[in-house]
Amino acid sequence: MLCKSFASKLAGAAAAVLSLFLTLPLHAAEADGFVVEDLHYGEVLFRFYQEDYFSALTHLAAYRELDRVSHHEAEAELLQGGLMLSWGQHEQAGRIFERLLAESKDPSIRNRTWFYLGKVRYQRGYADAAERAFESISAPLPEELDAERYNLLARIYLDQGRYADAAQLLTDWDGETVWATYARFNLGVALVRMGELDAGAVLLDKVGTLDAAGADREELLGLRDRANVALGFAYLQSDLDGEAKPVLQRVRLNGPFSNKALLGVGWADTANSEYQKALTPWLELSGRELLDSAVQESLLAVPYAFAQLDAEPLAAQHYARALEIFSAQIERLDIALSDAGDGHLINALLSDDDLSMGGWYWQLDSLPDDDRARYLYFTIADHRFHEGLKSYRDLIALNAHLDEWRGKLQAYTDMLDTRVMAYDERLPAMQERVARFNLAGMQESYEVLQAHSIAARSDHDMVSLASAEEQGQWARLVAMENSPAWNSAAAADMREKQRVLKGLLKWNMEREFRVRAWRQDRSIEELGREIAEVQGQFASLEAATGSIPATVQHFDSRIALLKPRIAMMQGQLQLAMTIHEDYLQRLAERELNEQKERLLTYRAQARFALASIFDRMSASSE
Amino acid sequence: MGNTQMFKQIVCGLTLILLGQIGNAETVGGANDLATLDQETQSLKNAVLELNKELFLLEEELLYPANTQVAVFVSMDVGEYFALDSIQLEVDGKEVSNYLYTEREVGALHRGGVQQLYLGNLKVGEHELVAIFTGKGPHERDYKRGATLQFSKNIGSKFVELIISDQENQLQPEFVVRNWE
Repeated sequence: MLCKSFASKLAGAAAAVLSLFLTLPLHAAEADGFVVEDLHYGEVLFRFYQEDYFSALTHLAAYRELDRVSHHEAEAELLQGGLMLSWGQHEQAGRIFERLLAESKDPSIRNRTWFYLGKVRYQRGYADAAERAFESISAPLPEELDAERYNLLARIYLDQGRYADAAQLLTDWDGETVWATYARFNLGVALVRMGELDAGAVLLDKVGTLDAAGADREELLGLRDRANVALGFAYLQSDLDGEAKPVLQRVRLNGPFSNKALLGVGWADTANSEYQKALTPWLELSGRELLDSAVQESLLAVPYAFAQLDAEPLAAQHYARALEIFSAQIERLDIALSDAGDGHLINALLSDDDLSMGGWYWQLDSLPDDDRARYLYFTIADHRFHEGLKSYRDLIALNAHLDEWRGKLQAYTDMLDTRVMAYDERLPAMQERVARFNLAGMQESYEVLQAHSIAARSDHDMVSLASAEEQGQWARLVAMENSPAWNSAAAADMREKQRVLKGLLKWNMEREFRVRAWRQDRSIEELGREIAEVQGQFASLEAATGSIPATVQHFDSRIALLKPRIAMMQGQLQLAMTIHEDYLQRLAERELNEQKERLLTYRAQARFALASIFDRMSASSE
Repeated sequence: MGNTQMFKQIVCGLTLILLGQIGNAETVGGANDLATLDQETQSLKNAVLELNKELFLLEEELLYPANTQVAVFVSMDVGEYFALDSIQLEVDGKEVSNYLYTEREVGALHRGGVQQLYLGNLKVGEHELVAIFTGKGPHERDYKRGATLQFSKNIGSKFVELIISDQENQLQPEFVVRNWE
């Protein structure tokens, strides 16, 4: 739980800082009226801000390939590195950051990149390279990043046993952040473990008496409790029981470290033979959750105190209770062990979890409400178990994601098949309709009309542009002239009338000629355009129908290539899941066995103590 | 006093447990099989990521070919005067999306993310888009506003952005539809 609390702190801070880091350019630019220049870049950010790293990475890679984020190419690279880191792809992230460092001249980008590269290297276990990266940072980083850098550097020094360097770093570091407190605690613990109790006690005491306030209050209070418990037990171990008690009494009674503190306070009391006093914290402790080893120990400590107070019957009664509880717990652990062997326990851990593609900072927030899974309470706090579980969870989610793709690809194959069937069915009918449409004839008529219009204009042929009625009248007037009686004297009046009417008609046609010629030209032009449009549509139709088989075949072959890749990938995922399951199972079994061993030892001790009590009681009664 | 000795041992054992440094969660050393597993998992995840990208591209090309593709995005510029609940989107009088936002999504929009609200197909020609924004306006009042855009769809993808911004001088939200060329 303690490691988990730290990991959680680290996770939260890292995610927040990463987000800050990646968005800094954006927000800074926003203040100057910056707008997202490529919508798709914003779309990737939208997913990133929701911690949907897998789809953000997928979309970013696809959009880069489609050249949809070209205005943000530099940020896109940085974003990809950050997303990779968030998704647990440390190696890829490291490569991207290294590339960025080689290419970027901007000091602010470079310093931040050095920081992340250092962090990646540290997470990968390359402490020396991480240290070099942190030392390459040439200007102060934002406060939170700087604090994390100092903390990681302190961790490197401590891991390498360079306690003097760590102490110097803490002295130089004037920041009073949670990170500084963590570093101080870690150094204090390291010094105590080295046998430097006095030096370690100074640091642990500082953490144990800190004034917790602000947004990190709860976390600091937890850390304060932890420092007090650690220091208190260090004193107890060094037989400084008098020093231990006040330190342990600083631990909050309702906090997660109160069990250990209560146990320690009792032990500090027994050092002065104050067994009656020791019973107060121990009796309180013995009624608490039995999973905690301090509670289990209190079941032995209470009768021990009673025995020291010569209250043998009470001691015997409490030893008997302890025996009963230990036996019941051992029985439950056996069941949990059997479940762990069947793989049920690991899957039970994820039973309540939302298996969406999580980030690298995913945490198992709560244990399922399962009597057996609760024994893994301490297992999930183990770094290796938690990391393994996280990977296992990712693999399950990826496999489920590929399952979805398999279903989709099948649907797309069906869709393409249907498209081909519809094409085969409709093509002949369509071709017939197209054939019935005499486009060539239309074109010919158009050309004739066009030639006629040109001729009429050049010959000033008024009659050809006249209305049908006028053309009829004109024809009748002209026909009269061909009559055999036309030139006779009797037809003189008729000739005069015809002359007047012909003149009138001609005058009318002459008056309308220009307008008629213009209208006809316009109609012919429009007809030409329409014919061209129909021709274009026919061409498109032909091209579209012609390309359908090729398009379908193109997609079909892509799907045909992707399907076996999915199957192969799922095979690999299944194998990796089995390996992870096996690994997690072994860790869980080891933890459960350790718990069982401890309980077996306690039970044996309780039996032995109970027998001794009975001996003493029977001896005194004799 | 065998018991005392026994308990002292327990105390020592506990001390060692309690004196574990915090932060081991970050170190990898000593866990060889975890490191190997991690490396293999990373490589596998990378391969799945690459495959997923190809599947994503295939899906988009197949279902939303560039010639007919239309995408509608939503972005937020400050957005202090409007708390977004939902957006209803109509294209040519037909509802194509009615999206209800989660707090997380609104947060992502506030931070500069751009949501792809709709991806579909439209033929070449003139179209009309209507977006109706629902949420809480100034003073926690229910707020509903619409924005319209007449646009031409040519050959090639068409992108439209719905922008929710603040009108500082009127202390009111503003809804703008931007036509991306």
